[in-house]
Amino acid sequence: MVLFLNQFINGLGIGAIYALIALGYTMVYGIVKLINFAHGDIMMVGAYTAVILMVDLSVSFPVALVVSMLVCVLIGVVIERVAYKPLRESPRICPLITAIGVSYLLENSAQLLFSANPRPFPTVLSIPPIVIGGVNISFITLLTVVVSVLLMIALQYFVMTSRTGKAMRAVSEDMGAARLMGINVNITISLTFAVGCALAAIGAMLYCIAYPSVAPTMGMMPGLKAFIAAVLGGIGLIPGAMIGGFIMGIAESLTKGFVSSQLSDAVVYGILIIVLLFKPSGLLGKAQREKV
Amino acid sequence: MKRNLKSYVLNLSAVLLIYIVISSLIGTGAINKYYTGILIMIGINVIMTVSLNLTTGFLGELALGHAGFMSVGAFTAGVITKALVEQYGWNATACLPVSLLAGGLLAAVMGFLIGVPALRLKGDYLAIITLGFGEIIRVIIQNLQITGGASGISRIPRVNSFTLTYVLMILVIIVMFTLGRSRHGRAIISIRENSVAAEATGVSVTRYKIFAFTFAAFFAGIAGGLYAHQIGRVSAATFDFNKSIEYLVMVVLGGMGSITGSIIAASVLTLLPELLREFSDYRMLLYSIILIVMMLFRPKGLMGTAEFSLTFVWNSLFGWVRKLLKIQPKVKDTPKAGLTDESVKAGHEPIMPDLPAYPLQEGEPVLETRNLGIRFGGLHAAEEVNLRLYDNEIVGLIGPNGAGKTTVFNMLTGVYLPTDGDILLLGKSIVGQKTYEIVANGIARTFQNIRLFKSMTVLENVKVAFHTRMHYSPATGIFRLPRYVREEEGIDLRARELLRVFSMEDAADTPADGLPYGQQRKLEICRALASNPKVLLLDEPAAGMNPIETKELMETINLIRDRFHITILLIEHDMKLVMGICERIYVLNYGRVIAEGKPAEIRNNPEVVRAYLGHSDQTNKAQAELEAIRNGNA
Amino acid sequence: MAMLEVKGLNVYYGAIHALHDVSFTVEQGEIVTLIGANGAGKTSTLHAISHLIPAKSGTITFKGENLNGMDAFKLVGKGMSQVPEGRRIFSAMTVLENLEMGAYSRRNKSEMLRDLDMVFGHFPRLKERVKQIAGTLSGGEQQMLATGRALMAHPTLLMMDEPSMGLSPILVEEIFAIIRDINREGTTILLVEQNAHMALSIANRAYVLETGSITMEGKAAELLNDDKVKSAYLGT
Repeated sequence: MVLFLNQFINGLGIGAIYALIALGYTMVYGIVKLINFAHGDIMMVGAYTAVILMVDLSVSFPVALVVSMLVCVLIGVVIERVAYKPLRESPRICPLITAIGVSYLLENSAQLLFSANPRPFPTVLSIPPIVIGGVNISFITLLTVVVSVLLMIALQYFVMTSRTGKAMRAVSEDMGAARLMGINVNITISLTFAVGCALAAIGAMLYCIAYPSVAPTMGMMPGLKAFIAAVLGGIGLIPGAMIGGFIMGIAESLTKGFVSSQLSDAVVYGILIIVLLFKPSGLLGKAQREKV
Repeated sequence: MKRNLKSYVLNLSAVLLIYIVISSLIGTGAINKYYTGILIMIGINVIMTVSLNLTTGFLGELALGHAGFMSVGAFTAGVITKALVEQYGWNATACLPVSLLAGGLLAAVMGFLIGVPALRLKGDYLAIITLGFGEIIRVIIQNLQITGGASGISRIPRVNSFTLTYVLMILVIIVMFTLGRSRHGRAIISIRENSVAAEATGVSVTRYKIFAFTFAAFFAGIAGGLYAHQIGRVSAATFDFNKSIEYLVMVVLGGMGSITGSIIAASVLTLLPELLREFSDYRMLLYSIILIVMMLFRPKGLMGTAEFSLTFVWNSLFGWVRKLLKIQPKVKDTPKAGLTDESVKAGHEPIMPDLPAYPLQEGEPVLETRNLGIRFGGLHAAEEVNLRLYDNEIVGLIGPNGAGKTTVFNMLTGVYLPTDGDILLLGKSIVGQKTYEIVANGIARTFQNIRLFKSMTVLENVKVAFHTRMHYSPATGIFRLPRYVREEEGIDLRARELLRVFSMEDAADTPADGLPYGQQRKLEICRALASNPKVLLLDEPAAGMNPIETKELMETINLIRDRFHITILLIEHDMKLVMGICERIYVLNYGRVIAEGKPAEIRNNPEVVRAYLGHSDQTNKAQAELEAIRNGNA
Repeated sequence: MAMLEVKGLNVYYGAIHALHDVSFTVEQGEIVTLIGANGAGKTSTLHAISHLIPAKSGTITFKGENLNGMDAFKLVGKGMSQVPEGRRIFSAMTVLENLEMGAYSRRNKSEMLRDLDMVFGHFPRLKERVKQIAGTLSGGEQQMLATGRALMAHPTLLMMDEPSMGLSPILVEEIFAIIRDINREGTTILLVEQNAHMALSIANRAYVLETGSITMEGKAAELLNDDKVKSAYLGT
């Protein structure tokens, strides 16, 4: 029982990080119907920026966090403009392949610049875990879950009530009609990418606090899992990313604890496949009909 | 046939020549072991790329787990060879046929198991699921005892050779090529071009997707087996997502849909990294830039969908030499697409596509709907629709926008499942049948927005539609057995005949999207006729046409009815056309039939006039209702 | 000076020449209607004016200003708004949010609220359903919403693309009565319609489009009884 709770709580922690990264995927897919394979690598960019600032330039954590977010946003927006915007009208396979290319570009550039060897992430917090009846709740996990949930609520609120957020929803639904309203579609799309990247940067920080190691390919697995989380919950839906992220994290953690840590990846993919087969649009998603 | 014989001889000679040159260079040591290894890897990678091209290039579905099939093949072959050698004392080389085949078959089974569920999804979701499956395969292999767990298998007898790799590579290339040129390859390509139209022309999209997937997996498995016996050890981590991406890059670079492109790209991208060993750090970086640049500036890749033709080069070369030396070419009979004395003599007459007999009783309607209806949510898109179409009629289906006309067509062709009523074709109910089955049973259609197979030629577009009337199996097509030759000749004759009816035979080799708009519409109709339907449904055939083209269309429709003895139901807004050629007209409004009759009756029917032109007289009742609504009391 | 002047508009969809040298004007305060059968090019005309599709050649002048090359989203700010064909409301958003989107380009809160009241005045049904998700509204209510949304931009020129499509005859009459009211309150209207009689009964002037070219023009009242209009729709 204790083991279950411990694993469950760990699952919540990693799940919260997946959820944050998943938000970026889901928002971008919602607005331009593109799976941004490079999103997980944006997280990696954030992590490296922070490490370099803190370790090589002795910058404090809060400053590193902010700069890291700015860098991620900048890179994300540039990528969108250069590599994705020209392909908005192309068949869907084209931007998909380009996204894969961008992902590899980021990973390999990092490898060349920083070597493939992992670098340690400096300790930012050292608060002892809270122990309740034999169950360890690390402060980091608690922080991660709280921060993630708060951010997600804030994002949902932003998208639902703010003028820009509503513009994002309008563009996701009907780009042409949105233009007729006077909405600058290109700026709206850039903003969406920006928000997603900023969240990825925060997710990166939380990830590095929990697993203090930075490597060029660090974004790949969490990115993939976060993406699966988004699809699981219903891609394009913010609550879906949240739910999907937590389910992924908990499933992974419980498998690691009770079955085998090697099989945890397979279980996670297995869940995705089963869900997609029975509910192709995800847990919270609605079915789409093609016009003949 | 003579033309083909020349082509076979040329290509076979080239293949043999290359082999002889390379193997002698290896034999004399001019190419050392290191470079031989590279050549072998090129061969393996060509097999992988060409097989992935079947799924991603020909079928058009992005598959991100192809390395998983290679993995299955590699481990299966490795395990079997080791077992046979270590436990049964077999000679290692003798194991190869067994191991490789087993590897391929198991990979094919995996392909099938993955394909069946995955192919219900489309596009992005399909790609994700193939990715997921690829990763699952990797994880499972890493955790099984028999596959050596995390460290994989080592000490596999390294009995692969250049000869074996080369032979298999050539075989795979040939098979892919002949498959592509057979009716099954055409069906697969048509799915990529326009899957809705493919289904509507008689191709079972689901079946062919699964076929392509499984077939591609088989060859990937074979490649894996070769790899295992080349390197001598395999671990699941080698065949990860990155590897799948490497092959994807090769397919994309070469051109999705070009086998030649895949060969070139696989060769270049295997050779380059070896030659640029010092720059190996930059390899993946270069790959990523290639991918991005390709997609932005040349998404078609190096070759697009074109293939290199040795025969073409040979002929051009000779033509050029002849011009140079001013030699007159022998006046050759242009190979006629017709029966020649030789083919008749050889007992190889062409087999014509089926011409089903449509037995019809006197006075019985060819196509009938009884209280047909469909509900979407709470909305009745069509209700109590009763249509009767008799033999050899031209009937019109008209009504304002949103009246439900295309909905009726979609129900007649199995795209939508009606919620109420029945549809009877020649007296038998067809409700619940899949679209391609309905095509086989005798209903063909065209679409509101023209759905041609854009990058296929005019002739090929028509040939796809013969699919449902042909019989030869994929194996027959691949090995070019007599039945393949005869059936293909048959449909070639028939297809050209059809094009001649529409005065399009000169455009036979033009790509469909190169045609002017009016011709594209004609081609769509021509294609629909190729399946020998009894009923032809035309959805707004005159849309976007000018008055002259419309007049031509009217003549064409009349010609079709007379010559092919079929029944035509047409949706149209162009009233000159409708009133000009329809013998009877049904009028739909709000999903219901509001009138039926001859053109003159319909044109003067006040309800019809009102439905179309609207009315501006306000009755007292209408006035009162209006008042009530505006006060929010409805 | 005409409020809207379209001269020599040519639009192609790939190889199809959809609009041939289309020219017409709309004067301030008028209701001008563009009628024609399905496929004649009516929607293409409005899409070209709103820069949703590119025009091969031709000029579009609005209040004396040449619109060529302007981004589509800037046109609302110039005073032009459109009720698109098929409504194209944002079905996942509420009625109120849709109306807010209509006012996206505006900044003055009090004026916006005044316009909101105006819209509710024309369409009391919408006021009742303010928090309802737009996708669940009936066809007629969606048409009202789309019109109200376009009105929230406080346009000088309101362009309407087939407002009668898919609506019952009663609703069509209601919508057209409201269009007349909107015009009386000062908004110039360019109305594209398949329903010739309704359109001609409220318009000042009309143009008839047949397969991409304007074949007739004149006062709406005169065209209303012209047999040539009937033949353009129903054939001879």
